[in-house]
Order: sequence, then structure tokens, then C-alpha cells
Amino acid sequence: MLTSTLGLMWQLHQQEKHTTQQMFLRWIQGLLMVFIVTLSQTSDNIQAFLSNNLNSLLGADVVIAQSHALTPAQMEALRALSHQVVITQQITTTLTHEGRWQRAQLKVVDDDYPLQGELKVTSAMGGAETSLLRGPAPGQIWLDSRLLASLSVSLGDTLMLMNRPLKVTRILQHEPDRLMEGHSVEMRALIHVKDFQQMALPEARIQHRYLIAAHANGRESKSVIEQIVDWQKAHLPAAQIHHKQGAHPLALFWQRTENFIGLASLILFFMSVIAIEQLTHLQLKKEQHFSAVCMSLGASKRAAFALSVGKWVLRSVSIMPLVLLVSAGAHGLLIQWLGNTFADLHWQWNGMLALQSLLTLSLILFVFQLPVWVGLWHSSVAKLVNQHQHSRAHRSTLVAGLVVLSGVAWAYSDNGLLTAMVLLSLLVSVVLILFLSWLALTLGESLTKNVSGLMPFALYMMKQRIVSKSTQILGVGLCAFLLLFTLMLLNDLGDTMTRYQRQHDGNLLVSQASDAQMRDVVAWAEQHQAEIRMQKPYVYASLTQVNGLGLGDFASRPSESLDTFKRPIRLHWSKTVPSNNRIVNGQWWGKHNAPEAPTKPTLKASSQYRDSLQRWQQVSVEQEVMTDLGLTIGDKLTLMIAQQAYVFQISASHAYKPGKGSITFWVQMPSEAIAHISAPHYTMASLEVTPQSFPRLGALWQKHPSLRMVSLQEMTARFDTTLAMVTQVISAFSVLIIVVASIVILASIHAFESKEKQKNSIIQSFGFTQKTCLTLNVIEWGITGLIAAIGAILGTYIAGLLIYQSQFSLVYQPSLLWLLGTVSVILLGVTALGVIASKNSLKSSIRALMAES
Amino acid sequence: MSFIHTRRIALKNVRQSFIVNDAPIHLFENVNLTVEQGQSYAITGPSGTGKSSLLMLLSGLEKPSAGEGVYVCSTANKTAQRDGAQNEGGLREGSQSEVIKEQRLPLEALRANIGFIFQQFHLLPELTALHNVALPLKLRGEKNAQEKAAYWLKKVGLAHRLTHKPKQLSGGEQQRVAIARALIFEPKFIFADEPTGNLDVNSANEVADMLFSCCEENGAGLVIVTHNEALAQRADQVLRLERKTKSASGSNLKSQLRSAVEDTPC
Repeated sequence: MLTSTLGLMWQLHQQEKHTTQQMFLRWIQGLLMVFIVTLSQTSDNIQAFLSNNLNSLLGADVVIAQSHALTPAQMEALRALSHQVVITQQITTTLTHEGRWQRAQLKVVDDDYPLQGELKVTSAMGGAETSLLRGPAPGQIWLDSRLLASLSVSLGDTLMLMNRPLKVTRILQHEPDRLMEGHSVEMRALIHVKDFQQMALPEARIQHRYLIAAHANGRESKSVIEQIVDWQKAHLPAAQIHHKQGAHPLALFWQRTENFIGLASLILFFMSVIAIEQLTHLQLKKEQHFSAVCMSLGASKRAAFALSVGKWVLRSVSIMPLVLLVSAGAHGLLIQWLGNTFADLHWQWNGMLALQSLLTLSLILFVFQLPVWVGLWHSSVAKLVNQHQHSRAHRSTLVAGLVVLSGVAWAYSDNGLLTAMVLLSLLVSVVLILFLSWLALTLGESLTKNVSGLMPFALYMMKQRIVSKSTQILGVGLCAFLLLFTLMLLNDLGDTMTRYQRQHDGNLLVSQASDAQMRDVVAWAEQHQAEIRMQKPYVYASLTQVNGLGLGDFASRPSESLDTFKRPIRLHWSKTVPSNNRIVNGQWWGKHNAPEAPTKPTLKASSQYRDSLQRWQQVSVEQEVMTDLGLTIGDKLTLMIAQQAYVFQISASHAYKPGKGSITFWVQMPSEAIAHISAPHYTMASLEVTPQSFPRLGALWQKHPSLRMVSLQEMTARFDTTLAMVTQVISAFSVLIIVVASIVILASIHAFESKEKQKNSIIQSFGFTQKTCLTLNVIEWGITGLIAAIGAILGTYIAGLLIYQSQFSLVYQPSLLWLLGTVSVILLGVTALGVIASKNSLKSSIRALMAES
Repeated sequence: MSFIHTRRIALKNVRQSFIVNDAPIHLFENVNLTVEQGQSYAITGPSGTGKSSLLMLLSGLEKPSAGEGVYVCSTANKTAQRDGAQNEGGLREGSQSEVIKEQRLPLEALRANIGFIFQQFHLLPELTALHNVALPLKLRGEKNAQEKAAYWLKKVGLAHRLTHKPKQLSGGEQQRVAIARALIFEPKFIFADEPTGNLDVNSANEVADMLFSCCEENGAGLVIVTHNEALAQRADQVLRLERKTKSASGSNLKSQLRSAVEDTPC
């Protein structure tokens, strides 16, 4: 019995697999499976890489990093806890050579470096790698190959750094503690600590790293690592710590990336719901007919049901080998592409995960299929013959779709705000396009009600089939919107940002200058007729506690703000609200009636005054940061400034107001606060420098290698690189959307094919030819494409308007030529696809209508 | 002097055959038949004798395997019509033999002048009765399509059903809508395939009355394919396709024409 049932299942599956409807279903299933398997494999590959990376690239058992050197007492305590400690220092500097300059990360090491692992260097460009257990000797500098090329330096040349000659002796390929650089693309250089000590670079901006071996034989000791972590929490709360038992610093970032892509895949699932909904009617009809025949021949409902489920299982399983093959290929391409970000990332396949992904997706597709089975199960023979289950199936498909979409959103949600934003923007796009479809067809139909001709007829018929037409328009509209957004808006954004920054911020941005450096910058500007557009002072501060809780304990939700707050941030002071800021909530420096606090409160002292703060102990925090971290007005922030803890209360939140320069700060305090804080002051400034003066900037860097300046050209180059990466990702995603949208269009054409054929035959029975039907078809698809194109352009325009308005206070003016070109391409593409795909329904005849008699 | 225009469809020595699974099937041959505007014809016969194929040939939608089909448009002066004799082409002419102009066109030229009525009605389910009837005129770009459609629905007794959709109408009502839709654009010929096949006796009689009277009133030629003898007898001429028991060539089925058809050669 079982064998014969299985045999019948197989036979039916073989017969049905060539039908158009099954082909579309296989395509949708297959695409979703490929997407999910590729995403999970790539993510797993990266996470595995990061995990290995943590063990092999930490260069120590524990690394503590902070912006100040440990005190002798702290150093002694750390040495007592561990087996060995190696100190490295790192500073961002600008190296110059014969009129060329390049920003680079200068790492300073001693004779004990590296602690664990080996340095890899070459002695010639493209030469063989050598492993070394010591860094450069005094008087030497090692540069990475990009820095070497950028400065046009050859091995053996001498670089001058703070008037100290350093001979380039090696090309730096790899440092064993490279993990600490994250996915920074900064160029790197290595020098000996003795040279560095004589350079007298400003101490305050040096990043101090302590590479710690927890146990004598290099073996990890869990208890020792835990002790060091506890010690750090108690004594160095503002320091960053990484250890072999912790998470990779980038692990969270990539988890979020995967989650974001997963959320974006809601569009794919949404469109699949549309396509499957269209096909469900046909499938249900066929299944019901087949079941009716089976049941009329004495088969039980259960057997008919089992056959239907069995066929589905066979269909799902049969596409899996191809899905795995395509996913492996796509995964390989992604790994190759990501190789630019993660050096040494290799293709790796996790079979168990692939199976898990396939099973999860099969479960999702099972939910999609439920309406058909529910329809079958609740039918009697009479009902099956009459086929009255469509409205129930329609409702069930919508419910199943909602369940699936909610499930996907829940699975990929790590941040309520992000999920809500993605869902909301999706919803807005969908509602916009649906509304536009409804409006265009309703208006078109009612305005041409009393007019005759092919166009009014086409509008009338489209209005009658508004549900299927809207879904077609939605599919086309969404992918056109994504493509337009990528190609048009982002590119345009790059140009506008450049223009805007040039206008308001000049062409040179000083991101960090000490008082002495800034004086020289001002003098240089006067000398070279450069105009200083804006200058704003700040101190560096690390947020360690919120309302007495450690930052990690207070805000566990991953966010951009939390990532940034793990490093020192710039704390600006200002008496009045800066011209490029506006208050969102609270009051800019309200009054406090609390008793006088100590002038320089220590960490211990500050805790006594947490509830009795002075007027100067207030801050205004940027609104987005407030939302990301879950802060509210009145919260108390403990900021570590120059190794002293200060408690501030949030009295206001502010937002960026465009039009008055782009230098703005996340956290700001009253001017009088600076009198209570002892810390080095820095300045951010923007300048307009003449092109002739640019080459003379080298003199400033020669004198102040730690001076951080970046030209507009460099800034836009960085922006363009990011933009290029974003464009590539969105373009690849758009291609996927185009394929799914095409399937939606084809599925809806297929679902309505018999109706279309009937309509065309009837039109022919009025004395018209097939040419009239073709013309009608072209008009119908033209209108579909036009509404979709208008929807996409409108969506892009609104997005552009909002971005431009909020960021630059500018009116978005897209190029008319671009718009017309885009409309034409979408129109042609959609009409051509629609007409070609509808060719079957055009092969209609009056004879067919007679045959139905 | 005023003119009268008449049209006729003529098949001459027509044969229709086709191939199914490499086996030739001959439906009929040597068919000579003339269908005149203003006259009614019924094609009857057992299933498989080629009734529908003959309809398709007459409407110019299919081509014969052999023989010729023409659409003849004649113009005569009015005085010529008063006399009763018929010429070879079927046109009535007077003693002065006043045919001024005769145009012989291929059957494809009929296209704009024909309307169809089907057994399954084939109304568009999304449209109301009014919009279904207005459809042919709307497609032709006529301005008063809806007014004319309302007039025609009133004519077929459905003035109270203008806004009803097909599924809200009975079978008889649907077929009446279909008749109105087929006649609204004033075609010269109407081809009806089993127009009463899906209706009960009462509805069938009502629909038949409506069909014949409307065609007569409109001056349209009517060709009905039917198994219903009573309906067939209401036509001016009945054409019966009969299966030959044994053909000259052996086992192939052949159709034979009987009745007045052969009396009116083209």
C-alpha cells in the first residue's frame, strides 16, 4: 500500500513538474532557499573566520587598550596578575616624503614585541615573506606596501619624522596582533620605542596597548583571564579589553550585517507571498479536481491529502541539490568579494548549517502551502466539484504570508528600532505603490468612463482586475525603486555632499589639533591666504557608566552609537546652542540648585555627588544617540576625562541643523565646565585652502605629525569607496529583486492566462483581429510600467527630498534627463516582458470558445 | 435614385480536412453554399461531422483545405428590388437588371461584419450586463456606447438588469445579454453555436424568439449550429451534415450536405 502510494506520488510529481505553475513555484522556492543558504553560509564563514582570527590574531591572551598609559601602580598590579606584559603604542600620524604625505597608523614597539606569534616582512616589493620575532631596531621604520607606494619610498630611503631620520628597512606584511586594527584600512608603519620617545609627540592622543600573556607556557588560563578582566572593570573602566575567551570585536558588527540583510530579505518574502498567492488559486483548483476524482473513485480524503503533501515534499527535496550547488557558487563569489575586507578569508562549507537552513525554509514554505491543504481538508466531494473554496484559500494565503513575514522579521531582529524602521520603510513603499495603482486606475477608469476606444477599455479592465494588477505594479515598482535609489540618488548624493561641504566647510578639515598645533595652523592659514571657516574646541571623554551602571550593562542592544561610545568621544563645550544645532528636548543649560561639588571630583567623590550636581555638570546629547542607547533627560553619565571621572546629567537633547557647517558633536557641555576639567584641549576646524597652497601643507605635518587633517578630496574618496560598496550590495540585491519581480509578473500572467485568453477570444468575436488584442496588451503593460515607474520615481524623489532636507536643507532636484530615461527604460522593459510573457494568451481563437461549449 | 447594399457569403467546392496524430481526417468536401444577409440558416447533424468547422469557414476565421470562399458585396438600385426573381448570385433583381456594382472579396474581409453567440454565453465576469453589451462599441471608439447598450438591453427585456454581473443573471438572461452584445454593433452576419444548448425549454424558446426577431429586425444573416431540431426548423434554410456510412476512399468519415443548399450555388 505504502509502496504504491509512494509510487503514485512520484509518478504525479514527474507529470506535474513540467507544468508552468510548478516551474514558477520551484523558482520561487529555489531563489529563497539559495538566498537564505548563501546568507547563512557566508555569515557562518565570517563568524568562524573571526573566531579563529581572535585566537590567532590577538597576539596575546588578553589585550587592554586605552588612551593613557597605566600608572606605575596599575602596571605593577597588572604584572602581578599576569605572566608577561608587552606595551605597544599607536598614534595616527602623517608621514611626509619629498612633498608627498600620507596619513598612517604608527605603531611603536619595544624589543619584547611580539608577545605571541610572529611578524611577517619582506625585503623587497613582491619578495618572499620572512617571519621575525622582533620588530624594527632603533633608527629603522617598517612600512606596509601601500604606504611605501603612496609616499614613493624605496627600501633604504630615509624618512624624517619630527626631525628624526628613520631608515626604511622592511616592508611590513603582517603583525600578530593585527586583530586590534579591526577592519581598519589605514596604512601602517612600525618603529622602535626609543625613536618615539625622542620625538615628543603629544601624549594625549597615543593609544596604549598592553599585550598580556596570562600563563607561563602561553597556555590560556581561564581564571587568570577572568581575574584580569575583573581588575580592568574595577580599575580601568574606560579601557577596552579583548581576550581569547571573549567575542571578536567585529563579531557583533557582522551579526548585525547579517540581520540587516535578513530583514531586507522581507521584500523577497513579501514578493514571494504575492506570487504564491497568485498561483495558489490555480494549484487549489487542480488539487481539488484531482482529489474529487480520487474520492469519487472510492479513495479516502486522507489518501488524497497524503498525495498532495507527498508531492510537495518531493518537489521541495528535488530542488535541493541544485539549490546547494548554486548557493555554494554564490557563497564562493561573496567570499571572494569580502576578501577585500577580510584578508585570508577562505571558502568554507558548513553542511549541517546548510541542512538546517533548508529545513527552516522548508518549514516556511510549508506554511505557504497550508492554505491549499486547509482548502482540501475542509472540502466534501460536492464542494470539491463545485470549487467554492477560493475565498477561504485567499484569506488563508494572506494569513500564512503574514505569519511568514513576522517570523522572518522576528528571526533577524536584534534591534527593535532598526526592525521597525526597515518594516516601516517597506510598508510605506508598498502602501505608496498600492495607493498609486488604485488612484491611477480609478481616476483613469472614471475619467474615461464615457469615452470609447482601446485605452479606456484597457483602463476599465485593469480596474476590474485591480488586485492582480496592483501586485504586478508592486513587483515592478519595488525593484525599480531599489535600482533608482541606488543608481540615481546615491550617486547624486555624493556630488551634492561634495558641493555642500566645499561651500560650508571649505576643502580641508582639521579633525584634531592641539592648542599649539592649532596656533600653527592659524599662522599657516594667514601666511597662505587660507580662510578658516569654523573652529570648535573639544576634549576626549569616555563614557563608562550610565546611572551608575557600566555602559555594557546599561545598553546591551547593539547600535552604531554603542560601538562609538566604546571608544573615547569628542566632548565639546558651548555657552549657547551652536548655530548648526537645535534643541529637541529639555533645556540648554538649565539651573541646578545642588550644593557645590569638588572642583575635580574623583571617581569615588563623584559617586557621592550623583544626586547633587552643579550647574556645569550638564550635557546635551544628540537625539539619535539618546534613542540608540535608550537615554532619557535626567540620566546621569559618568565620563572619564583624562583619567578622571566626572558625572554629568543630561539636561537636553539636540539634533543637527543643516546649513551652518557640518562640525557637530554628539555630547556637549556648558562652557563653564571646562574650568572644572583638567584635560588637553583640541580643536576641530574647517578651512578653504587655495589649490596652490595644498602642497605646502607638508610643512605643517613635518612639524606636527600627529596633526589630523584631511582634504575634501580624501574625504570624498572615502565616501566614494563606501558608496561603491553600498552600491554593489544594493545592485546585487536589486538583481535578486528583479528576478523575483519577473517571477511575480510571470506568475500573475500565468494565473490569469485562461481569463485573458477568454477575453481575447471574445474581443475577436466582435469582429476584431488578434492585432487589436496585441495592441490592448501593449497598452495594458504600458500602463502597468508607467504606474510602476511613476511610483518608483516618486518614492526615490520623496526619499531624496527627505535626505536632502534633513541633511543639507536643500531641495532635491533630480536630473530631468535621468528621469525621462529611467521612465523609458522601465516602460520598455516592463511592456516587453509583459507582452512576451502574455503571448500564450494572445494565441486565442473563437474556435476555443466554441470548444468550451 | 437610392441604392441598396446586400452581402452574401459563398463557399464553392469547399473541402475541409486536417491531420490528427498523422492520420488525415476528412470532414466534408464539394460543399457549395451561399449564406445571404437577412436570411437564417441552421446547420445540424451528428457530433463530429464538422458543423463548427463549417461555421468557422463561413465566418472566414478558418481557411478551407480546398475550394474557395468569397464575400460578395453588391449594390443595386431600389427599383430593381421590387421584382421577385433571383439571379445566379442570389441577388433579387428587376426586369431592368439593375446591379450596379458587385465586389468579390476574400472571406477575411468579413471580419468586421460578424458577431458570435456561444453556448456558454462567454460574458466577461468582471463586467456588468451594461458594460458587457457596450464592450464592442467601446472598443470601436463609439461615443454613445452605454446609451446604445441600455437600449439593446431594454430591447431584449433586461432593462432592469443593467448593473447586474453575469453570475447574478440566469442562463437565459445571460444569453439574452450575449445576443444584445452580438447585435449592438450591427454586424451583417451572426454566427451562433448551440445558442440554446445550456438552457431549459422555456428559456430556450424565449432566447430563440429573441435571436430570430433581432436578426430579422437588424437585417443580419443568421447561421446557427444546433442539435435542436425545433430550433433548426425555425430557420429559413436547414443544412444537414450527415455521416457517410462508407466513403469512396475507404474508412474516412465524410459529411454530406442535403437540402436547398445545392439549389443556391454561388
